[in-house]
Amino acid sequence: MSNKSNTGIRMYSCLLLIVLIAGWELFCRVSGISSLLIPAPSAVAETLWAGLTVGFLWPHIWITTVEMVLGLALGCSIGFLCGVALGETEFLRRLLWPYILASQVVPKLALGPLFIVWFGFGMTSTVVITALICFFPLLENTLTGTHHIEPQKRELFHMLGATRLQTLLRLKIPSGLPVIMAGVRVAVVLALVGAVVGEFIGGRSGLGASIIAAQGMMDSTLMFALFVIITALGMIFYQATILAERWLLRHHMKGTGQ
Amino acid sequence: MSFLTIEKASYSYQGVEVVVDGIDWTIPQGEFHCLVGRSGCGKTTLLKIAAGLLAPTEGAIHIQGTEIREPSDKVGFVFQTPNLLEWLSVLDNVLLPLSLKRSVQPGDTEKARDLLTLVGLADYTARFPRELSGGQQSRVAIARALITDPLVLLMDEPFAALDALTREELQDDLLRLCDLGKTTVMFVTHDIAEAIYLADRVAVMDRGRIRHVLDIDLARPRAGDIRYGGDFNALSLDVRRAMDGAL
Repeated sequence: MSNKSNTGIRMYSCLLLIVLIAGWELFCRVSGISSLLIPAPSAVAETLWAGLTVGFLWPHIWITTVEMVLGLALGCSIGFLCGVALGETEFLRRLLWPYILASQVVPKLALGPLFIVWFGFGMTSTVVITALICFFPLLENTLTGTHHIEPQKRELFHMLGATRLQTLLRLKIPSGLPVIMAGVRVAVVLALVGAVVGEFIGGRSGLGASIIAAQGMMDSTLMFALFVIITALGMIFYQATILAERWLLRHHMKGTGQ
Repeated sequence: MSFLTIEKASYSYQGVEVVVDGIDWTIPQGEFHCLVGRSGCGKTTLLKIAAGLLAPTEGAIHIQGTEIREPSDKVGFVFQTPNLLEWLSVLDNVLLPLSLKRSVQPGDTEKARDLLTLVGLADYTARFPRELSGGQQSRVAIARALITDPLVLLMDEPFAALDALTREELQDDLLRLCDLGKTTVMFVTHDIAEAIYLADRVAVMDRGRIRHVLDIDLARPRAGDIRYGGDFNALSLDVRRAMDGAL
């Protein structure tokens, strides 16, 4: 797609957002619907602005961000290491695969109440849930990525007398990096869900806990303001991942229209 | 002096299907031998046995009297595709065989640059494989195979995917490089003209056996117009007939 038509589409994208918000605002004003059901965008913006300038939202944003980052780092690194271990040992893979498959289908969030028993209310439980959710996409993608190597490349490393560790570090992981990074992208999206829903269950503070608190106060406007923040947080993390991915795969991608 | 010796090499797939059937072959030092045959005749398998990538079910391979049981530094291998690592620069791709053995010295980098200059890629050392054309990638693959100064170069249809003109350029470059290093070469192809143009001796393979051997006495160094001479055509017809099983 040419650059020019790309900016054109982006402009229409923004226009659509403006039209939607304007329509929403108009609907709220004309119908006189209760702000408890659907708050007007202007009211949401006001609450958001107040929350950010007065500052009572910042600690919650901070908590959720920290939980997300810790959970991501923990889940991704353990998932990656387990993926490598399973990829390298046929025996482990065969032994553990049915269990991994089974634990994939267990809704991880359903374990939340159990984690509260184990780790108590607060940050630890949420970080553990987030890590658990991030673990699987990394495990699976690392396993797939390091496993599907072109046979000729394997033969090349065999021909050059590479050791097993060299083949892993210099062929399998770099070659599987695009698939591994796709796993990271999935993990980032899931991490936000994990952190917010984890706070629903066991959080004292954070954006998820604030949503529950706002619900308790019947403050729908604040809930909408929190949705906006969560969305923004997710977008920032997702875009950062895309940038990191582009940088890491800058040579893989060359000449393929990227 | 016999340099590369294949002795009664056989290879059967899962003990049933015989792919290579008791082949004896000798390449004297510095000679260029081509192996032609249809797809599935066992020529690639024979080459992989010679490389030590496959263990023969029977028989043995010797290079300078030493038996080859596994891949060795003495042998360079060029694959059907350039087989470069996309995440390494052209220079690092060429240095790969050395960097897997030990840390790369300034002298090694110098040598890699020289090799890349010889294959006409002096200005491309910092580029990445995806930025190169198919012909340029094949050149990098040849430079990579030569960086360890192999005694024997084994090539598995390395130019099959290239267009005719690029292929001719690469054939000329390859002959020049092999002449420079006095490299012994075993080259697998299904292209009769390519085999005759490159080789001192052509072996025609079919169903795991060598059916016909032809010495090519065309003068060296060989240049472009030799391909269209009468002698060349007569040799091509010979090989073609041998492939049809008429000889």
